[in-house]
Amino acid sequence: MKQKDNKSLISPEIKNNEAYMKERLGVGVSFDLGFRDLTILKKKVQIYYLTGLCDSLIIQDLLEMLIKINDDESNSRKLHEIIENRLIHQQVTTIETMDEAVDQMLSGLIVVFINGEKNAFVIDVRSYPGRTPDEPDTERVVRGSRDGYTENIIENTALTRRRIRDARLRNEMLKVGERSKSDICVSYLQDIADDGLVNLIKEKIEAIEIDGISMADKTVEEFIIESKWNPYPLVRYTERPDVAASHLLEGHVIIIVDTSPSAIILPTTFFHHLQHAEEYRQAPTIGTFVRWIRFMAVFASMYLLPLWLLFVLDPTLLPKELSYIGPNEEGNISITIQIIMASLGIEFLRMAAIHTPTPLSTAMGLIAAVLIGQIAIDVGMFSPEVILYVSVSAIGAYVTPSYELSVANKLINLLLVILTGIFGLTGFIIGIVLHILYLVNLRSLRTPYLWPFLPFNPKAMLHIIFRIPVPYANSRPSIVHPKNNYRQPTHESKLT
Amino acid sequence: MTEEKQLDQNKRENRISILSRSLITGFIGGLIWSLFGVIMYYFNFSEVAPKSFLLRSWLTAEWTSGWLGDLVSIVFAGVLSLIAALIYYGLLKKVNSMWMGLVFGVILWGIIFYLLQPIFSNIPALVELNKNTIVSTICLFILYGTFVGYSISYDYHDAKLNKQKG
Repeated sequence: MKQKDNKSLISPEIKNNEAYMKERLGVGVSFDLGFRDLTILKKKVQIYYLTGLCDSLIIQDLLEMLIKINDDESNSRKLHEIIENRLIHQQVTTIETMDEAVDQMLSGLIVVFINGEKNAFVIDVRSYPGRTPDEPDTERVVRGSRDGYTENIIENTALTRRRIRDARLRNEMLKVGERSKSDICVSYLQDIADDGLVNLIKEKIEAIEIDGISMADKTVEEFIIESKWNPYPLVRYTERPDVAASHLLEGHVIIIVDTSPSAIILPTTFFHHLQHAEEYRQAPTIGTFVRWIRFMAVFASMYLLPLWLLFVLDPTLLPKELSYIGPNEEGNISITIQIIMASLGIEFLRMAAIHTPTPLSTAMGLIAAVLIGQIAIDVGMFSPEVILYVSVSAIGAYVTPSYELSVANKLINLLLVILTGIFGLTGFIIGIVLHILYLVNLRSLRTPYLWPFLPFNPKAMLHIIFRIPVPYANSRPSIVHPKNNYRQPTHESKLT
Repeated sequence: MTEEKQLDQNKRENRISILSRSLITGFIGGLIWSLFGVIMYYFNFSEVAPKSFLLRSWLTAEWTSGWLGDLVSIVFAGVLSLIAALIYYGLLKKVNSMWMGLVFGVILWGIIFYLLQPIFSNIPALVELNKNTIVSTICLFILYGTFVGYSISYDYHDAKLNKQKG
């Protein structure tokens, strides 16, 4: 698939270049490739551009300046220098191979060939179609900045740079995709992020050989992580530049992929997926409260249904005080089947909600509420308690800040229900232990997934359980192996 | 506030505290998993509770059967767990695998439920325990062993890695 002829040089004979462009790019066939032939001081000059990705006003300005040369200058031997001077733009570079010319032109730059010259000028006048930064739907906060990443990688790196004006912030650009030539930016703080980690990520990205990555960040993620079949999200996505910036300061590495509004945060643990910008916008006590409630909800989304099912199947397990738990009437279908059906029903709704057009969503909500909520009970298909517990579990899944994590938990929840339904207590206990051991064994780029709970790290665990006030949260998390451990001057160094 | 100085501080911290961190892990591990033991007993997953080992076998006072008995036995389990952590630290910390911790938990279960069973007057013999109790307690000890073992060996190897980097 690799192109072998990428060393073909720009010919001094402009006709050769024209033929090359016609043959390789199909100038004149593809309508979006623009081409203008000029004669300046009796020499042929050709301009190539991509109509959709350049600002046409700038092209007009450039053309005007070039044509004016005919009126103002007469020394055609110095045409190269004259043209270089008259290209009124801040980003003008010289290139020497045709391959570069083609690449640059296809990413929206203007290429200028001059007859008799062995090189060409490229002018960066890119303006990509896109939206302006607005608040991401998936990570809303009550207070706090409302800008979010867009599909434009340049804007995205700029949004991060606005928050960290550090000379040591590195934004390294890599190209992936033999055909798509997509840009990928690896951002890290040079004196904090672990070199091993940065190099590992760059190696993995450079090793990608594929024609194109139109699913952008997700495709890159699948190339980077090791266990490709596991349901749990091993990287964290964020569309908020403030979240990305705070992770950079902690020593994480951020990967931004062009055409995607989500940045990838590496490395990630299970507990990163339970954090949300909102708790850092509240008083630490409130943040802690919010976090505990969220832990409870996420816990419920995983284990509540199988636990309740266990008590229904074997009421002798319940202590006297709690013996009222369990359905009042059994119904016609076994509770296990009821739970599975109701959970699948909720999954139907969730999927339908993603791509139902807005005008139909009211109708969908109505059908869902009436069908599942009322008729199913009246007909005797579901017992009311099943609806209650399945709903609590579903709401718990919606509380999970990471959408990917909530879906993975849902899957585990369903497996545990099936195990409990078949094997009772043994199935439940062994299922939970296997689930925990599976999570412990997972690794995201050499990072244990359940850190800091297992392997246990007291200090980091404290930061998970409590939202520590920022002035007291001085050290960076050890899991990223930061080269520089402290975020604020320590007392000892303050004295010296 | 030079970088050199900060790195020096890290190193010193690491050297003194691997053992103490292991002990903290042991203590917290004892607390957490004996708490789960109490919960399991409450929901009749298991016929035996931490307090049946640690208190009821020696004491018959009224308070030992109530919540105070649970609380005291949880703290007591935390203290005893220090010994388990020390043993793991001494013998197995160099094995860089979570599975070793798991095996450690199972061995610990075998010792407590089979070898040491005659000491505890309040605990029935292994063959007399029902299936649920055996499964629940083995699972609890597996999680406990993984918690203590994996944490200690991970910490040890992580500290070694940091030292190599300088």
